[in-house]
Amino acid sequence: MKGLRDPELAIGIGTVLLGAGLAVGATQISSEAGYSGVGPNFLPWVVGAMLALCGVLLVREALTGGYREREEPSGAATGHWAGFAWVSVGVLVNAALITTIGFILSCSLCFVLAVRGFKSAEGRLDLSLRAWLVDAAVGFAIAAPVYWMFTQLLAINLPGLTASGWL
Amino acid sequence: MIDLWNQLLQGFITAGSPVNLLWALLGCTLGTAVGVLPGIGPATAVAMLLPITSKVEPTASMIFFAGIYYGAMYGGSTTSILLNTPGESGSMVTAMEGNKMAKNGRAGAALATAAIGSFVAGTIATVLVTLFAPLVAAFAIKLGPPEYFMLMVLAFTTVSAVLGKSTLRGMTALAVGLAMGLIGIDQISGQARYTGGVPEFMDGIEVVLIAVGLFAVGEALYMVLYEGKTVETQNAMSKVHMTAVEWKRSWPAWLRATAIGFPFGTIPAGGSEIPTFLSYAAEKKLSSHKAEFGTTGAIEGVAGPEAANNAAITATLIPLLTLGIPTSNTTAILLGAFQNYGIQPGPQLFDSNAALVWALIASLYIGNVMLLVLNLPLVGIWVKLLKIPKPYLYAGILIFATVGVYGMRQSAFDLVLLYAIGLLGVVMRRFDFPTAPVVVGMILGPLAEAQMRNALSIGEGRWTVFLQRPGSLALLLVIVAVLVLPHFLKLRRAKA
Repeated sequence: MKGLRDPELAIGIGTVLLGAGLAVGATQISSEAGYSGVGPNFLPWVVGAMLALCGVLLVREALTGGYREREEPSGAATGHWAGFAWVSVGVLVNAALITTIGFILSCSLCFVLAVRGFKSAEGRLDLSLRAWLVDAAVGFAIAAPVYWMFTQLLAINLPGLTASGWL
Repeated sequence: MIDLWNQLLQGFITAGSPVNLLWALLGCTLGTAVGVLPGIGPATAVAMLLPITSKVEPTASMIFFAGIYYGAMYGGSTTSILLNTPGESGSMVTAMEGNKMAKNGRAGAALATAAIGSFVAGTIATVLVTLFAPLVAAFAIKLGPPEYFMLMVLAFTTVSAVLGKSTLRGMTALAVGLAMGLIGIDQISGQARYTGGVPEFMDGIEVVLIAVGLFAVGEALYMVLYEGKTVETQNAMSKVHMTAVEWKRSWPAWLRATAIGFPFGTIPAGGSEIPTFLSYAAEKKLSSHKAEFGTTGAIEGVAGPEAANNAAITATLIPLLTLGIPTSNTTAILLGAFQNYGIQPGPQLFDSNAALVWALIASLYIGNVMLLVLNLPLVGIWVKLLKIPKPYLYAGILIFATVGVYGMRQSAFDLVLLYAIGLLGVVMRRFDFPTAPVVVGMILGPLAEAQMRNALSIGEGRWTVFLQRPGSLALLLVIVAVLVLPHFLKLRRAKA
């Protein structure tokens, strides 16, 4: 018995809640069926029930000795949360800034932050100014050609800092 | 037969145009790179490039995507032989013997048998696709909504219940995928479902977002959380060359493996894990060099699985093109690419888009030749890709993920969603949930729902419509068998 902090149990409960959420949502959908006898709310109910059932069974497995035939996950036993935070901030900052500072700068920033995270996961976090600049240059060297290829060659819209299509 | 020949010839003329050849070469090159690089597979690569469907014409982009798809299979074997981690899941078995061979200084022979075997199997499988796809399409045109619905349920069942280790976790993943597919406007009634008033949800969730989130962002987050300290060792290269004895031992393995791999690709039981394992087991049983398996590395153990992988991968195009049913992550995303063009793969595809289909099939022949050239003499170049430092590789993948997702809908909201799906991907990987059911469920779910409601309309609301038609009844029995038989066998084995 591992108690409530058991992540397997938490996933099971989360699945049940997701199923319940789907069911609540399904009550808001009309049941107008036409010829087929089942309306747009039919599948939502089925999927909601399926999730809830799976969740209950997952909870049962979690409480009775853990998930069946689960392969041991690869890598370390505990997560490296500091590196995770760097990468997460990188991705979310990118989402927040992409429309204002443009694709190239925003992605370069994301790249630099993510590289900090991956390096810290490898145990060689380098916060010196030189490392920041080198990584920023590498990020720019990846992001800029990608941007030009998409905007100039394929004419696909990506946000820029200027309207020139080059930055 | 003459007709078939003419159509294939037309296909070669289209696929052989300089522009299309260039797309094929680009796809094969990119695919090989993607297969070699850890952390990014064919499904992710095709998903990231889906935005090009808004500008590039369908034939060119399908040739391009197909090149990435099977190019990754060639590249994947290089990584699995030279590194101790397989580049993509179909290469897992290749890694077992390939690594042993490489450790004993025979990396070159392993690489050669993998590349030539992939070529032989890929080409034979393409011939079989050419011959059988039109037949399947001609048959499938007779199927009605009830049969289609049952076929799709069969695909769901095999992808989620049969392939993974746990039926329960597979089904959970499928349900999550189906739930994602529900978001947006209902196809039949036009009603909004689960949009929560968020305008971005009205058009549904893009398959790009789910695939890139689960595979690319999820992989990057998993990497930083758990794999930072994992040290990879690389085996030394040797000259890419096979001796006469090695040729003699590889040939039968390639052919046997093609015979095993192809049927598995055509049935909706997708994925290449099962046929590669079966081929490995067969070679181990039949080999006259049993002592080499698991010790110094047996060449049959590389030749077989690698050929089986390619035969199965090529064969998955049959259910995709003739029935519109994807049976793997990558084919699910290829289906998404077709949908972006407003083309629904299925039996009509061979009539309505004959030129496209035959150009695509012809490009498979061309692509296999290109890949043989790209992978045999040039293998040294690809090996250099393995030297890219991990932090740059994964941070770079995040940039490409942004392009794919943002380029699709120009929405910063999608990037936040992308991160959330990435977190889901980490949890699924850590707790051994399969991801293919999510992608297949979300893309096939809405299609299955439409078929189900059409079927029930035919039956005037009675569910018995699925039992009254012999085709759908037979499929229903197959589904029940697929679900029940494995458990039954397990019980019997436990008793014995």
